Amino acid sequence: MNVLADFYAAHSKLIDQVGIDALLALSLSISLQAGQLALAQAAFMGVAAYISAVLALNAHWTLLPAMLVATLCSTIVAGLLALPVRRLRGIFLAIATIAFGEIVRIVANNLAISGGAEGLSGIPPDATTPWIYGTLVIVSTGLWFFSRTKFALAIALVREDESAARGVGVDVGLVRFTTLAIGGAIAGLAGALYAHSNFFITPADFGFGRMEQILVWCVIGGITSPLGAAIGAALLTILPEAIRALADYRDFVNGIILLVVVLFAPRGLAGIRLGKRR
Amino acid sequence: MKRPVFFAFALAATCALIPTAVVGPSLAATTKGPAAGKTVKVGVIADVTGSAAVYGVQQKDAYELANDDLKSGLLDAGGANLSFDVEDAASDGNQVANLFQKFTTDGTALILGPTLSGEARKGDPIAVAAKTAVVGTSTTADGITSLGPCVFRVSLSEAQVVPATVAHTKAVWKYKTAAIIYGDDNAFTKTDGDIFKTQLEKAGVSIVDTETFHVGDKDFAASLTKIKAAKPDVIVLGALAEEAEKIIQQASTLGIKTHMMGGNGLNSTKIYDYAGPAAAGVVVGAAWSINGNYTGNKSFVERFKKRYGVEPDQFGAQAYAAAQLVAQLVKEGKATKDEMCPALRELRVAQTVLGPIAFDPGRDVSAAPVILQIEKGGFAYFH
Amino acid sequence: MVGQQLVNGLFLGAVYALFAIGYTLVFGVLDILNLAHAAIFMLAAFATWSLLGAGLPFWLAAPIAIAGAGVLGIVLDRIAFAPLRRRAAPNLIPLISSIGMAIIFGAIARGIYGPDERQFALAFLQTPPLHAGPLTFTIVQLVILGSAIAFMLGLAWVMRATALGRAIRAVAEDRVAAALLGIDLERTIGATFFIASALGGLAGILTALQYNSVQIDMGGQIELKGLAVIVLGGMGSITGAVIGGFVIGMVETLAVAFGLSEWRDAISYGVMFLILIVRPTGLFGKRSLRTA
Repeated sequence: MNVLADFYAAHSKLIDQVGIDALLALSLSISLQAGQLALAQAAFMGVAAYISAVLALNAHWTLLPAMLVATLCSTIVAGLLALPVRRLRGIFLAIATIAFGEIVRIVANNLAISGGAEGLSGIPPDATTPWIYGTLVIVSTGLWFFSRTKFALAIALVREDESAARGVGVDVGLVRFTTLAIGGAIAGLAGALYAHSNFFITPADFGFGRMEQILVWCVIGGITSPLGAAIGAALLTILPEAIRALADYRDFVNGIILLVVVLFAPRGLAGIRLGKRR
Repeated sequence: MKRPVFFAFALAATCALIPTAVVGPSLAATTKGPAAGKTVKVGVIADVTGSAAVYGVQQKDAYELANDDLKSGLLDAGGANLSFDVEDAASDGNQVANLFQKFTTDGTALILGPTLSGEARKGDPIAVAAKTAVVGTSTTADGITSLGPCVFRVSLSEAQVVPATVAHTKAVWKYKTAAIIYGDDNAFTKTDGDIFKTQLEKAGVSIVDTETFHVGDKDFAASLTKIKAAKPDVIVLGALAEEAEKIIQQASTLGIKTHMMGGNGLNSTKIYDYAGPAAAGVVVGAAWSINGNYTGNKSFVERFKKRYGVEPDQFGAQAYAAAQLVAQLVKEGKATKDEMCPALRELRVAQTVLGPIAFDPGRDVSAAPVILQIEKGGFAYFH
Repeated sequence: MVGQQLVNGLFLGAVYALFAIGYTLVFGVLDILNLAHAAIFMLAAFATWSLLGAGLPFWLAAPIAIAGAGVLGIVLDRIAFAPLRRRAAPNLIPLISSIGMAIIFGAIARGIYGPDERQFALAFLQTPPLHAGPLTFTIVQLVILGSAIAFMLGLAWVMRATALGRAIRAVAEDRVAAALLGIDLERTIGATFFIASALGGLAGILTALQYNSVQIDMGGQIELKGLAVIVLGGMGSITGAVIGGFVIGMVETLAVAFGLSEWRDAISYGVMFLILIVRPTGLFGKRSLRTA
């Protein structure tokens, strides 16, 4: 037991990071399952992080209410975004959402209430490991049940062949809106947890770099598999620490791993395990 | 193994042993303090790669130089086995947190760094909770030392440097209007710009134009054209070297001949290297002068240049100063985590390449800023 | 002052335009967003710096670096995109592949050159600025403007008047039909990458000259701006990339001129977003919306 306690004491931050990153990967995975390349998770995360941080710092809210309100806001933002981009597909959707993300980041940078470039400091570290993993378990369970519903079938159909889906009466617009909103909600949860476990947030935490990271986790883990996405996130979050001995070569190794998985395991790591199923 | 291979191996092994035999005696040349023979681990968190690498590499170079100097006796740790373990946080907040956690759980006595103020805000609380002392060498934003009772800083903050800069330049240049151009997406440059604005207004100077830019920008023509039209008596740069050099050069291209000044970020010889004569006369409020005569400064600059082929800048100097400070503490016998914080608090003075330094009650460094003026080949003191 | 600001916008736009041409070419032909384009932009500038350091004169170093960039583009395609084509992977995968290559290129550059900024020690960079009435500009800026226009015209000529150009346009229009017509797909795609990357390399060298700065991060900002440019101009349209480049450059400069410098980038992204919502094909693009 002591060994476990020592391990936790020495690595609790990394463990927490893995939990949050897994949530972020799940949030993108939902959109990807509908075939939507909606790359605004980092922005949703940022919106929730800032709102929950401001509530905690200025109004002394505790974690749960702050997190819930923040997540509600990020979900609303996601829903609002779904409207103008409803006709966009593929790379056009990706670019539009990236643009949206950058605008959100710049707004956070220029407003006084968000602290501007100096960020918000001294956020109470209420989001401990039980909170993070508790949220992860609840979200995963919810997604698992969700995947057993008819709506989930509709989502898969929209991804495989949108016109066919329309043909059998699926409301494509509703599917896209819902997956974006759910993604916004999960990213929001992750954002609030992030703010309350990092002491300090700054607009740069939620920019294109973060978005690229989340995308890479999903691709490495497997686009159509939420479990894969979460595992991809876990592996790539641990990676820089695991290969710390490689010092200056870590970047290089990162790129190589990315390339190798993309070229030789296009269904991601989840694809390797499940074999040639789909 | 085949014969020749065996001999080659034996030869190589012997060659590896000889330097140890030679270095041995010189170790004995250092003094023997109360911590002699003890191993003291000091953890350094620096952004050697990533967006802040330009600063992190200087810091890493300074600490590795310090490690060499400890071995050769140039830095005296009283016979203790002191070494600086530089770890790369890759300008990534997550890695910063992980490194802080590592250093607070593996017997490290003291943490130096991290490179950026934002990183300090993320990581220092971890050290504070674990009661490990942290000494920042490049974090200059507000509110860092108030993160905890064992968070110290050897880097003069902008709040300490700017008032002196404004006072000196106003006395000589007697300006009445000013324009400020500063980076709005970087905590350091934004704080710099804000503090200059406050200080100038306090001194009765009216700000006729304010322009902002982003980190990584290279084209300042639009902003400078506006500034030129506002005809200020002095132009203030809230910038780091990479942007400052371009602003200065492009201002000259546009025919702007106004006095210019800035804070710590401009303390780099790269500016003259880039902008040439256009940079001459720019005033820099700094914490260190490359030409300064302080303890071991000239020798430090020479050795740094010799080993790395580039001159040290303020980031490197402040890192090396921290190393000097730590060596002094270890020489006095401080070797463990619990001894470091009180030792830092009780420090009367440490002689470093920054000059004599101590800590004020708020744990910020108490040292005098130097007001410099850029000239060919380095910096002169501003009169 | 307005005149000078317009001139400023013109030169900024020329840089964006040059970069965007290569970006849009690859997208037009392959529907791939090549996020390693910015890395080649940066490597070409460093290659020129190294060649100059080795003693070559500029008029030799630059063309070699540009050709090298072109070759690197072909290598990039062979490693990161061609294998995926054979597998008919969805468009997301080549994007990730290009991210991987961008990271690798960046790591190599950092390993060789380190994070410090380098300068060119070239005499013609030190020439005093020119004046035309109240306007000020430098020789380098004129060269960049001239190059952008010259290469756009040159590329337009290649696309209309040569067999290769026709092949590229055919592949962009309909890959299957082009193959049926006997066009060698792989060779055409290789040529496309060569041209696009050579242009990206040229943009990198000229940008490095313009600001006398070579640095491993130099592609970062322009990568996202380039996206805004090609969206505005129409993805796949070379004319669009050029016009879009000048428009974005002008918009940014005028944003600063009107006191909105904090929102400068947000305005460019806002334009990008609006165009995608209202008219996704941009000003000149002919592509219809495509599925993922």
